[in-house]
Amino acid sequence: MAKLVLEKVAKSFGLVNVLPGVDLDIEDGEFVVFVGPSGCGKSTLLRLIAGLEDVSSGDILIDGDSVTHVPAADRGVAMVFQSYALYPHMTVRQNLSFGLENIRMQRPEIERRVGEAARLLQIEQLLERRPKELSGGQRQRVAIGRAITRDPKIFLFDEPLSNLDAELRVLMRIEITRLHERLGNTMIYVTHDQIEAMTMADKIVVLRGGVIEQVGAPLELYNQPRNAFVAGFIGSPRMNFVEGTIGEVSGETFTFTSPDLPAMTLPRRTASLAAGQKVSVGVRPEDLIVSKGKGSGWPVTVSVAEQHGANSYIHCSRPNGEPLLIHQPGQSAVERGDILNVSPVPARWHLFDASGLRIEIEPGQEMAPPILHTAIQ
Amino acid sequence: MSTTNWVSRAGFGLMSLPARVIEPVMSGVQRLIGIKRMPWFFLIPNLTAVMLFALLPVLINVFYSLTGSDRLYPQDRPWVGGRNYETLFDCTNYLDPSTCSRDLFWRALGNTLTFVPIQVVCMIGIALITALCLNREIRGRGFFRGVFFFPVMLSPVVVALTWQWILQRNGALNGIFSAIGLNPVNWLVFPNTAFFWSVFVTVWAHMGFYTIILLAGLQAIPRDVYEAAKMDSASNWRVFTKITLPLLRPVLLVVFILSMIRSVQTFDELYILTGGGPGSATMLMVQYIYEIGFAIQPRNFGLAAAASLLLGAALLVFTAIQLHLSRRAQNG
Repeated sequence: MAKLVLEKVAKSFGLVNVLPGVDLDIEDGEFVVFVGPSGCGKSTLLRLIAGLEDVSSGDILIDGDSVTHVPAADRGVAMVFQSYALYPHMTVRQNLSFGLENIRMQRPEIERRVGEAARLLQIEQLLERRPKELSGGQRQRVAIGRAITRDPKIFLFDEPLSNLDAELRVLMRIEITRLHERLGNTMIYVTHDQIEAMTMADKIVVLRGGVIEQVGAPLELYNQPRNAFVAGFIGSPRMNFVEGTIGEVSGETFTFTSPDLPAMTLPRRTASLAAGQKVSVGVRPEDLIVSKGKGSGWPVTVSVAEQHGANSYIHCSRPNGEPLLIHQPGQSAVERGDILNVSPVPARWHLFDASGLRIEIEPGQEMAPPILHTAIQ
Repeated sequence: MSTTNWVSRAGFGLMSLPARVIEPVMSGVQRLIGIKRMPWFFLIPNLTAVMLFALLPVLINVFYSLTGSDRLYPQDRPWVGGRNYETLFDCTNYLDPSTCSRDLFWRALGNTLTFVPIQVVCMIGIALITALCLNREIRGRGFFRGVFFFPVMLSPVVVALTWQWILQRNGALNGIFSAIGLNPVNWLVFPNTAFFWSVFVTVWAHMGFYTIILLAGLQAIPRDVYEAAKMDSASNWRVFTKITLPLLRPVLLVVFILSMIRSVQTFDELYILTGGGPGSATMLMVQYIYEIGFAIQPRNFGLAAAASLLLGAALLVFTAIQLHLSRRAQNG
């Protein structure tokens, strides 16, 4: 059992208030990812949980017991650092056993744990090497191994894959996910890479400026972002936003107007809409219906068509020069300079008010399941 | 032509002038000696300085050690072969300097062999403790770093005179002793206290330099490694012995070699502070070499040269052993 509860956890460095007060519950065995842009406080929050920083106020509870004033080593947590932080003068075996020797564990038990961790991470043949003789991926495994040997209640990962190349990152991502499945421990993982967040997490915590913007399962955040920030941050490539105002509101529909685009009539899914209200429509790149030539949608001009083979990313510009991105499965026939007509897939668009908050959809009007086929008709 | 163009052309012309002169010279040299020998060509200025001011004096020293008389010019000095070395080693019992024909040499050697290990160990120990303290987040850290480095900037003569004023019969230290009702001590008159203060003053004067080097070494150890050790339940002592010391070892080696060489070379502070006394209690090797070669009449350049070469050879061997051991430990 390792349930973690943060109660109004705040942290200031001098006059800078990094975390104004975080409340969060993490259930036993969950894989939770803290994600957010640089400087959002996600690493600080992790370090507070680890005990490497003291909280300014608030309480941290593990399994119901406050650990706020418990030293890092006695909290039952283990951390994998961004830089791996391996002891450069020790062999891999010594790196793995150092923590156990410190708590005066019996030698046979140390050997057993080191052997088990090495087997699990397939680093048995590296045990007598020093960190400088290892590749980035191998170092990463040793760093994870060091955490495993301590048999912690909670694993903490601080951007552990950021120093690896793209290919290795994908492999390690899968390995860490498998490791979580095998060990079943609570894991907290910090990253600024939302793909890592989406692919690994049971639960994502999106942070901005030290404040939790939204907590939820990856697809929950993707499909029902609470605000424009989460909508823009979760999902790659990011969501398109079209600012404008509400025009005419009728029983079933409303018109949305943007200065550079023709008015569009959209189905009304909420009562809280008023004519003249400033809003922005958010549409993910894959949720756009695209047709060539004139039509009833928004006219955009193709500036770059990126062909990835299995996918196409068509970078367009609106009449006012603002960018708009279209994602299409497969290969696309469009070329630079083509005029396309785009409109959101029904019930696959989001509406945000002037402050960026999502305008809630009424029950029975939920988002439609994602439609992947938006090929040019 | 616009002003800008004129200026830029003139600038370009000036910049390229050395290149235009040097390029053909370099090409010529390269053709003459071949591209593989070009590094030697570029090393010539530095090598010349090393030859003139380091290697040549060593060779002259070798020559002087193999020749006799008190005459300065080489052509006036008769060849004596290894006689100067024989004189230095002319002893009935090496453990008893009074049985040696040059007893002062053996006393100075004995003093040096006692002084150097004690001074180096004290120096590194205190410098390391100071560096560890200054590496912590303490109030006024910058001020203390300056304070500990300050004596390094002082002239050795100033250091020695200052401490002489403190330690002499009517000095500041005895003033304090008198004020608190203790009997004044003639610090520099008794061999043991004079030796203690010799070590103390030289450590005080040079410690700041090694503190700064060690501090730089400490700061180069990544903070993450300490945090990992903290997560790994390591006690402060385990962190020091298992993380800090091993990671500081390359820097400690540099400090050890530098401080040892400097310690063996100790002369100026002690020459002014104690004059090698009382008797010969604080006379170290370099002072002996100076005395025998320049101060005591007739001046014995040959013996002084022989003694200095022996000292140099001993330093060389010791440094080589230390380097070898350290490299073996690092690779091991």
